[in-house]
Amino acid sequence: MARLYPTIGLEIHAELLTKSKVFCTCSAEFGGDPNSRCCPVCSGLPGTLPILNHTAVEYIVKAGYTMNCEISRFTKWDRKNYFYPDLPKAYQISQMPRPVCLNGHVDIKTSEGDKRIRINRIHLEEDAGKLVHDDYSKATLADYNRCGIPLIEIVTEPDFHSAEEVMAFIEKIRLLLKYAEVCDCKMEQGSLRCDVNISLAEKDAEKLGTRAEIKNLNSVKAVGRAIEYEIYRQTEILEAGGEVVQETRRFSDSTGETSTLRSKEDAHDYRYFPDPDIPPIIFTEEELEAIRESLPEMAEDRKNRYMNDYGFKEIDADTLIADKDICDFFENALKVYNNPKTVLNFMLGEFMRRINLGEMSMDNLEVTPEQVANLVKYGDTDKINKNNYKNIFKEMLETGKTPEAICDENDYWVKEDNDLLEKVIGEIIANNPGPVEQYRAGEQKVFGFFMGQANKALKGQATPNAIREMLEKKLKG
Amino acid sequence: MDIKTLDHLCGLSKLNYTEEEQEKVIAQMSDIINLMDTIKDFDISYDDTKDKNEIAYDDLRKDEAMPSFAAEKLQQNTNPRDNCYVVPKMME
Amino acid sequence: MDLKNTTVASLRKMLDSKEIGAAELAKEFIGEIKDKDSKVLSYITVTEENALSAAEKAQAVIDGGKATALTGIPLAIKDNICTDGVKTTCSSKMLEDFVPPYNATVIEKLNAENYVMLGKTSMDEFAMGGSNQTSAFAKTKNPYNTECVPGGSSGGSAAAVSAGLCAAALGSDTGGSIRQPASFCGVTGLKPTYGRVSRYGLVAFASSLDQIGPIARTAEDCGIILNAVAGVDAHDATSKNVPFTDFNGKIGESLKGMKIALPKEFYSDAVDEEVKNAVMAAAKEYEKMGAELVDCSISSLKYAVPAYYLIASAEAASNLSRYDGIKYGLRGEGRSFEEMIRDSRSRGFGEEVKRRILLGNYALSSGYYDAYYRKALALKQEIIKEYNDVFEKADVILTPTAPSVAYKIGAQDNDPVKMYTADICTVTVNIASLPAINTTCGYDKNGMPIGMSIVGKRFDEATLIQTADAFEKTFSPVRCTL
Repeated sequence: MARLYPTIGLEIHAELLTKSKVFCTCSAEFGGDPNSRCCPVCSGLPGTLPILNHTAVEYIVKAGYTMNCEISRFTKWDRKNYFYPDLPKAYQISQMPRPVCLNGHVDIKTSEGDKRIRINRIHLEEDAGKLVHDDYSKATLADYNRCGIPLIEIVTEPDFHSAEEVMAFIEKIRLLLKYAEVCDCKMEQGSLRCDVNISLAEKDAEKLGTRAEIKNLNSVKAVGRAIEYEIYRQTEILEAGGEVVQETRRFSDSTGETSTLRSKEDAHDYRYFPDPDIPPIIFTEEELEAIRESLPEMAEDRKNRYMNDYGFKEIDADTLIADKDICDFFENALKVYNNPKTVLNFMLGEFMRRINLGEMSMDNLEVTPEQVANLVKYGDTDKINKNNYKNIFKEMLETGKTPEAICDENDYWVKEDNDLLEKVIGEIIANNPGPVEQYRAGEQKVFGFFMGQANKALKGQATPNAIREMLEKKLKG
Repeated sequence: MDIKTLDHLCGLSKLNYTEEEQEKVIAQMSDIINLMDTIKDFDISYDDTKDKNEIAYDDLRKDEAMPSFAAEKLQQNTNPRDNCYVVPKMME
Repeated sequence: MDLKNTTVASLRKMLDSKEIGAAELAKEFIGEIKDKDSKVLSYITVTEENALSAAEKAQAVIDGGKATALTGIPLAIKDNICTDGVKTTCSSKMLEDFVPPYNATVIEKLNAENYVMLGKTSMDEFAMGGSNQTSAFAKTKNPYNTECVPGGSSGGSAAAVSAGLCAAALGSDTGGSIRQPASFCGVTGLKPTYGRVSRYGLVAFASSLDQIGPIARTAEDCGIILNAVAGVDAHDATSKNVPFTDFNGKIGESLKGMKIALPKEFYSDAVDEEVKNAVMAAAKEYEKMGAELVDCSISSLKYAVPAYYLIASAEAASNLSRYDGIKYGLRGEGRSFEEMIRDSRSRGFGEEVKRRILLGNYALSSGYYDAYYRKALALKQEIIKEYNDVFEKADVILTPTAPSVAYKIGAQDNDPVKMYTADICTVTVNIASLPAINTTCGYDKNGMPIGMSIVGKRFDEATLIQTADAFEKTFSPVRCTL
């Protein structure tokens, strides 16, 4: 048997960052007490009607442009009918024959080079509610807060052939949606969700194999693991002469395996038909152009600008743009203190280190870009000693105080006071006759010892240059 | 219409009929579907872009969040638990 | 007081001149309901206390000189229009105890005028039917002959107006549900253009066809109520912003030169001779007024009934899916969601509603969609086109409202096809989103009312009211003797 070759397609759901829900005026924020963000419309009361949100439509168009899609000038909404307790109307308002976006593509980087993934369509729909299973009362409890949160579904062509490609694609989609400012892309909170369709067949086979759909994937890592497992599972079946069953499977993060959720026999007949409550909409060329022009600078453009205008290395630019919140922080810091290289160094160093240590998170940040900009500026202009970045930044994070206040309280400001410098260094030399002898005998490396001692004693009240000058002068004797 | 079709439609509609009801319903539905079948004679195709009922993108609702409804009022026609709607336990 | 002949327009004068107080008027109607409704069964809920307190409030407004057209006017509301705090049952066991937590837009608008709601009127279950006999509760009877149906689905509203149990009423019309019961009960009923009145708060039957409208004793009264409830609504994306000043603004204008089209298909053998004769006599009356009669054809009429039932039932199947027993409505039993939902729906819905749900799901299901639902949408386009062509050469269209007068209760039981085909005269108006008004044009040999329908161009309700009013001024209605 020739080697089996996986073919994979994705359906990615992303919640849009609108203020209100897609068909009513309830808040679209995440969370809240059960059914506290609901009204007669999103709770499916008799007689209520959906009113489409302008911004939700704007956002899907933006998403479409970032993925090089054609935008339909005529678009309409359909009802997808099925009964489930998280769906109060027993139909989901979605789009079937006339989605907003069609025929796009997204380029990804893989270990085997660049690759183009085709987007079949993107449509706008409403999210469903949440069910909590209560073992004690043998009941399921339904909370409709999430009902009506605007959702886009991105459907790719089956263009992937490995977990690596899929993971790279999801990361890319994440960057596109985040930089377009239409989705916060938090997989763990469910604002970005991914379903995977995967089948195996011999390479260059005329027909694709029978596919399984995998759901319940709440991290990029889980997507990768589920695909690897599914390739293994389907390979075992096929190589043993068996047949893969067309079905929906769920991935378990704890076991790393997939299991049957429902079989094809239970497949729904959704009875799509145009929603008579929502008139189709038409765009003018001017409206679409205005939306396209309102797109913020995308990650790729920022990266190029950093490399061309600021002379950043590609690896540094990539690191900076990888998280839009960090990158925005950097941009805002530059507005206060326009020295890209030193601000970059601080961001890549002290700033990212604290994030990676888990000591700070971009979600609830105690420091402002302005404070960080000022801190770097003080270092660059010898107002403070850069060796104190670590102490000052740590205290900024812990106390929320400004760098100025921290420098005041700890006496971190560099003094223009030559007498102090001369006195402190004089004492160090007097107290260390041994090393002084060594230095004067030509052992240059003990100079570092003196620098350390001086820094410690001066607590950053002098700049390294001033200390060096004074040390050299005094050591020469 | 036969029993198999009725069963399928009952599945889609979430309805039950007793055995004696089934016979009557199948007869009635067969008559109704015969009446509906007369439109099959009409030779015409449908173009959804010609309905002329579109609205302009610019006329859509502006995105402003308004206060939601009090849960107790929204749920006055059911017996909620912890402000949630109660459903028989779902099989996962 | 002769409540059966009292118009909204005349009540306005009496209230403003203090000839009668709003509370006194409300009590008079409530007394009449208590006396007579047991014979007609037009109401499901009578809101006596609310009515009296609303009347007092209305009186204060009248006394303050701030009265508007409907201040203190006692109206009845069809029981599929949501009223905050007042049961809205849709005549269904499913919603027997349902109390909406919000008001329909039309109710908000009437409240703003300080009207007086007398109660909620019976109807065919979820507005599906033309006889009021599919109601799970009050199976309304015709005030002219209580052995006959009042028509439907707004049969309660029409019967209440006819029997003098309210000054006027709101109904809803999906395929004739205002015009046909108005015809059967000898009153005037106006189905506005689709989009003229907000549907927000109208429990949906078929969303692309449903429209709320008035049932009253005269065309002028219909105009007064439409003035109050019409207008674009931010809660209904299908409502249209077509400005109007006064739907009664053309009343009294000469009909000279008006072109009235008579589409031949509406005068076929399917329509009773007595009905045709009465409508043709009315047409002659219009000729005398200077109008010109024009022959025309709506050839797609023969497909109208299936097209209507496919569209309406498909939408209904989807609209009625929300009744699962979880959030409101009859809650069935069962250990699983599936069992419970099936039990809820099987017990909550009546036979006719179930048949339409089955039909709708049949038309939408995989493999059948193109043959049925999509074909029906194509027919809709064709019907619109044919009406547009007629309106190129005519101002209004005149047709019978129903093939017959009110028939005996039970005559159409267990015969859905007969029931459906009886809608032939009214359904195309809904499919084409047009406005139409029914007014009485005669009585058959047994004294049962015969109605005619005047159909107008989109958003041209004013011409319909003008035309109907012109006839009403030449016609002496015979009120029921109940």
